Amino acid sequence: MKNSEIDRTHIPFIIMIAVIILLPIIIPSAYIISVMVFVAVYGVLALGMGILIGHAGLFSLAHPVWFGLGAYISGILAARGWVSPGIGIIVSAFFVALISYIIGAPILRLRGYYLACATFALLLIAQIAGGQLTNITGGHEGLLGIPPLSLGGFVFQTDLHYYFLSWALCIGCFWFCSNLIHSRVGRAIRSFHDSEIASKSMGVNIPKYKLQLFILTSVMASLAGSIFCFYLCFTVPSFFGFHLLVELLMMIVIGGIGSIQGPLIGSFVILWLRELIHIYFGKIFPVMTGEVDSIFFGILIIIVLIFMPRGLAGWVEQSFNLGRRTYAYFKGPGA
Amino acid sequence: MHTSKVLVHNRDRSEIESEENYLPLNVLRLSKRFGGIHALNEVTFNIEEKSIISLIGPNGAGKTTFINVVTGTYPPEAGMIYFQGQNITGLPAHKIASLGIGRTFQLQELFLSLTVLENAMVGCHTRGRAGMFAAGLRIHPAKADEKRLREEAMENLKMIGLEQRASDSISSLPLGERKLVGMARALGMRPKLLMLDEPVAGLAAHEIENLVRLIHSLIDRGLTLFIVEHNMPFVMSISERVIVLDEGFKIAEGPPDDVRANEKVIKAYLGE
Repeated sequence: MKNSEIDRTHIPFIIMIAVIILLPIIIPSAYIISVMVFVAVYGVLALGMGILIGHAGLFSLAHPVWFGLGAYISGILAARGWVSPGIGIIVSAFFVALISYIIGAPILRLRGYYLACATFALLLIAQIAGGQLTNITGGHEGLLGIPPLSLGGFVFQTDLHYYFLSWALCIGCFWFCSNLIHSRVGRAIRSFHDSEIASKSMGVNIPKYKLQLFILTSVMASLAGSIFCFYLCFTVPSFFGFHLLVELLMMIVIGGIGSIQGPLIGSFVILWLRELIHIYFGKIFPVMTGEVDSIFFGILIIIVLIFMPRGLAGWVEQSFNLGRRTYAYFKGPGA
Repeated sequence: MHTSKVLVHNRDRSEIESEENYLPLNVLRLSKRFGGIHALNEVTFNIEEKSIISLIGPNGAGKTTFINVVTGTYPPEAGMIYFQGQNITGLPAHKIASLGIGRTFQLQELFLSLTVLENAMVGCHTRGRAGMFAAGLRIHPAKADEKRLREEAMENLKMIGLEQRASDSISSLPLGERKLVGMARALGMRPKLLMLDEPVAGLAAHEIENLVRLIHSLIDRGLTLFIVEHNMPFVMSISERVIVLDEGFKIAEGPPDDVRANEKVIKAYLGE
């Protein structure tokens, strides 16, 4: 009983790890590997934001800020040669944890739309700061001269290196978060989303958990940002702006709000769909592929919200349950 | 005027703190206002150990507000609340809960995205100690917590007779069972004082009978119960003492029969 239970929770991770290892062997295409790096990086972001919005009910829109801070801090530290890139990643994660603590402590008292407004303001401020502080960030021309990542003598150079690095982070975060959500702390977090008054009457220290979760997801975003900047060897403020925010929200909605695997599915679907749109419609409308994918994603969101309000993850789960019930029905009550 | 009030408080306070056997609850001149409305007006009373005390009163008398203030949902404007001799006035709700005051809600306030068992497990929250990191990495304290909380929550569900529905969603339960889940959840923190907000409203006769049995078994286990209720036959049969609130004032207190005969109470319920 106990063994089978542990096995069952590990199955998705084992499958994921197997797929990630086998993919470059089966399809050794640099293009696919490169898109998959983005799927992992955006997956980590969407995962964190999905937990904040879907599980904790914290409508925080500041997620691109932590991503950007992680990218810029580790990028600047490495480009100026102040610390080695590996240490830079850790430094930036600590720094982001500190900033998100300082900002989160007062801001998380806000609820609902007020929190959304305040965090959105933070995003705008960070955008402007990133563009204007030219001597630190390189402004809108971008931050150049970021060396490749090296960890303990190993230099990450090829797409494949970053592919394994980013997926290690992604699967690690996914594992951590799914353990968390199914633990005492995770249930407390889900409980205050449903009813704050009942939750605190059961002894849940709501402000503490909100702040801890906020910092945790910020650090996840920061780590993703660091890998992102070392992969591209370049960052500009527009990578971390409103466009990214909309994309993340799209991933969460399409993948499934309130499920832990939803945002990862969303990241995969959105990024690959965009690639496919660019490949096929790029030939028909060469000058306006950006507009074409907006139209597509708009239609997709409408379809998902109408037919699968719990997103792709919810839909898969529902079909699975339906299949199981049908199977049980045909097998008969004796089985 | 003001100083005399403080003096009175100090005297009461020293009395409370000098008592050898602390009472589960002492409430001193508790007041709460919402805008111009006095929801509670200098309400004072004590609750003895292992007793069943009921609070009744017409609609809007401040009964639910009383529970909310005692459990820390709102801070009181004035007055003191002592729980087992400890001043809990103005403490945050989660601290008061972890000291041992459990409650249920008039509208259940169950966690709809969690299963029945998970609801009961959130009730056991204060009985675990693993933090976010241990939980995420699934290392020792979190694993031990998980197992223990699951067992404890299951025990509570068994006590109220809902163990069969442990993995069901809340939305699939009828009202009576939802109220029981609320009880199981509140029992998870092993409270010394349990405050029930309208536990029998909307229940069928046999469900009320079950609840009465459950309440007596809780008293046997050493709990103290404080019940806010509208259902008079239930209140009068189960309570050792009844307190009547009207427009925020305590207008009567005593054994059920005395309260029933009290003129002020009759006036409050029936009008002049």
